[in-house]
Amino acid sequence: MPLKLLAQLSTRNLFRHRRRNLMMLLAIVVAVAGVILTNALIRGMQYDMREAAVANLTGHIKVLAPGYLDDPNIEKSFRLAPDWQPDVPAGEVEGWAARIRIPAVIMSERETRGIQFVGVDPARENISFLGDVTLIGEGLKDAEDGRVLIGVELARQLETEVGRRLVIITQGLDGKNREAGFRIAGLYDAEGTALEKQFVFTGVGALQKMVNADVVTEVSVKLQDDALVTDDKLELDVKSRLASFFSTLDVMDWQELEPQAAAMFVYVDSAILIWFLVIMGALIFGLVNTLVTAVMERIREFGMLRAVGMKPSAVVMQVVLESTIIMLVGVSVGIVVGWLLCTAWLGDGIDLSRWSEGIEMAGMRSRLTPRLMGHDVILVTVLSLVFGVIAALYPAWRAVKLKPLEAIRR
Amino acid sequence: MSEAVVGQTDVRTGGVHGFLIVRIGWRNLWRNRRRTFLTTGGIAFAVFLVVSFMALQLGQYDVMEENATSLLTGHVQVQHAHYPEDSRFEETIEHASQVLETVRATPGVVAVAPRVEAFALTSVNERSFGAQVLGVDIAAEQQTVRFVRMLASGHTLQGPQEAVLGTVLAKNLGASLGDEVVVLGAGKEGGVAALVFTVVGLLETGMADLDRALLLAPLPEVQAGFGLDDEVHTLAIRVDDLHRSQQVVRRLRAALPATLTVRNWDQVLPELRQGIEVDKMGGRIMYGIIMALVVFSAINSFIMTVFERTREFGMLLAIGMRPGHIMGMIQWEALFVSLLGIAIGLALASGLTLWLMNVGIYLGEGMQEYARQFYMPDRMYPAFSWEAMTVAPLVMLVGTQIAALLPSLRIRRLKAADALRAEG
Repeated sequence: MPLKLLAQLSTRNLFRHRRRNLMMLLAIVVAVAGVILTNALIRGMQYDMREAAVANLTGHIKVLAPGYLDDPNIEKSFRLAPDWQPDVPAGEVEGWAARIRIPAVIMSERETRGIQFVGVDPARENISFLGDVTLIGEGLKDAEDGRVLIGVELARQLETEVGRRLVIITQGLDGKNREAGFRIAGLYDAEGTALEKQFVFTGVGALQKMVNADVVTEVSVKLQDDALVTDDKLELDVKSRLASFFSTLDVMDWQELEPQAAAMFVYVDSAILIWFLVIMGALIFGLVNTLVTAVMERIREFGMLRAVGMKPSAVVMQVVLESTIIMLVGVSVGIVVGWLLCTAWLGDGIDLSRWSEGIEMAGMRSRLTPRLMGHDVILVTVLSLVFGVIAALYPAWRAVKLKPLEAIRR
Repeated sequence: MSEAVVGQTDVRTGGVHGFLIVRIGWRNLWRNRRRTFLTTGGIAFAVFLVVSFMALQLGQYDVMEENATSLLTGHVQVQHAHYPEDSRFEETIEHASQVLETVRATPGVVAVAPRVEAFALTSVNERSFGAQVLGVDIAAEQQTVRFVRMLASGHTLQGPQEAVLGTVLAKNLGASLGDEVVVLGAGKEGGVAALVFTVVGLLETGMADLDRALLLAPLPEVQAGFGLDDEVHTLAIRVDDLHRSQQVVRRLRAALPATLTVRNWDQVLPELRQGIEVDKMGGRIMYGIIMALVVFSAINSFIMTVFERTREFGMLLAIGMRPGHIMGMIQWEALFVSLLGIAIGLALASGLTLWLMNVGIYLGEGMQEYARQFYMPDRMYPAFSWEAMTVAPLVMLVGTQIAALLPSLRIRRLKAADALRAEG
């Protein structure tokens, strides 16, 4: 029997019970739209966490002196040729930065705090959170700028302000403590207070003078987000090229540097799948219920069709088609509704700033924007259709179980 | 409408009549077993999932709260009114021993630990790092919080001039047990605080911030060194029941002067409370979607039930049954279906919860780190609670009743003669 005819039969049967099938359609739409929306929110969270981890002066890949992670100090540093460039095609790299990052003690007239003192080339810091912050006062001019940029929260704790001086103590390359005064160029307002309390920035050249060494402690490379999505080997590839260039140094990716964010990143993938299976599980009871009813009320019709020569396989096909058609329509509408929810309703993101400390601890951002991903939509579509076929199996078996004559006599 | 109301009133007051309706409702369930099983199965599935997830989710919160508060902060904290906001060194609790006595005497308080908190430069030989110096009464700390017991090596504070360091701080300083550590800081009223301690123990809490920065030293020496009299910065308090800590907070507020602030754990650790709130919100959305889906299925199931039985209803109307009775009968059917589903779902969820309470769920290595940040243990254990056991069943009970009511509303408009002629 031609498929086209079977499909026609199935479609007509669906229209015979509009109210019931509309209800079923509605359930599928709610399920699919719900899955699409929640998936997009979970994905948004996942990528926020990765982005926050990467922007936290980490980058996708980082070059460090061996032992720096265990004992971060200026002795664990290396020289970088002034004309060094990462050996990666442009378009794959968003940017890179060489920094000195060492622990230090900062003192105002009133208070003392422990901080990470970071020497940067401000022109290169578009790859880290420093590129996104709001500034009060001025930013650093260039790599030789001998003023400091401190967080708003740290300024509050130190009871200081733009233009005032601070004393910073850190260890020089000879192991002796250096103490120097710095004028505050500006305050930066980052998301949350954790970064603001931790990092104090100055020009990398100025910091090199202070520690009396022409070295850096890290080179951080950030790859293009789009290139990362299209080429999942890109990160490994760049990492190995850097590793062969800096053969005496440690080259690490963000997964190694931020293991918690990386674990969360992987965990989310399985969470999304489990969540989808749960939703489909809840849906399938209703779907089987509807299909079985649709089959049982037509059992005489099926008997007659069988009696005039329709093959059992064609009967099964008809039921499976019915299920598939209703699923297909439901999934299509559901995806559109889900997409509308993600863009029109929550396109600007959900404001979570009421819980800012909590989500900061979770490594998220205060605005959660849904992130609808093509492969999630495909996964939902394909698996929904598979579930549609599975749901049709029992009803189809009922439809062919009875002998034609018995079915007609019912 | 009036007719329906009258009909239902009859069912309630009609004694035998009402019971008859219940019996018919029960029997009707078994006329289409397949459908009953499928609807029941959907309800059972939703109840099972939501109850199990909630037991797991809510089970974590108590553990997180207890772990977080018992680590360092205590359940309740007393400080100078401005100290939580400004953390300035001179904002201390004056006449600390007197305040301490008042707090100790407050009902519900189990232990109190007085602390001086100072930031200072610590040096061993040539190397220097900033550190958070905690002047502590070690015996009181041991009764109040856990972190003082988390020693990686050496022993805890026993005598004068001893200090315990965070492992990472010690590593950064290149300090090992027996070394001398010099502490340099700014004392009260601008004086220089200079102290020397012998490292006797290393502390490993697993919290990076603490291990990197903490130096514990005896309270009297830190007070003297930093120019404090009978003053401390914080009183960390352990109460007898974390769930009732708010009561202790109220008592302390009444007993202490207004220059001091008393904060419950959820104010001291706002990130924890907020994390729990966000988590609860996420849970509610997911449970809502699951239960909404099953209610949709139930509506569909009752639409089919009601439409297939149009002729039957016509006959019942013809022999004098009121539409209200028929609707009541369907509500009874819905009640039985939901009760059955709830019973199965609860039984399965209880079984799973009981089992998981024994074995726990392993989070995997990477997630452990993440969990530890939220003060969660390495294994997750669910916990029985009334909230987890009742929310989903109640929602499904009400949802199913509504699901049955929607299609059966049309029975009110049903005419016996038309209904009898309807397609079966």
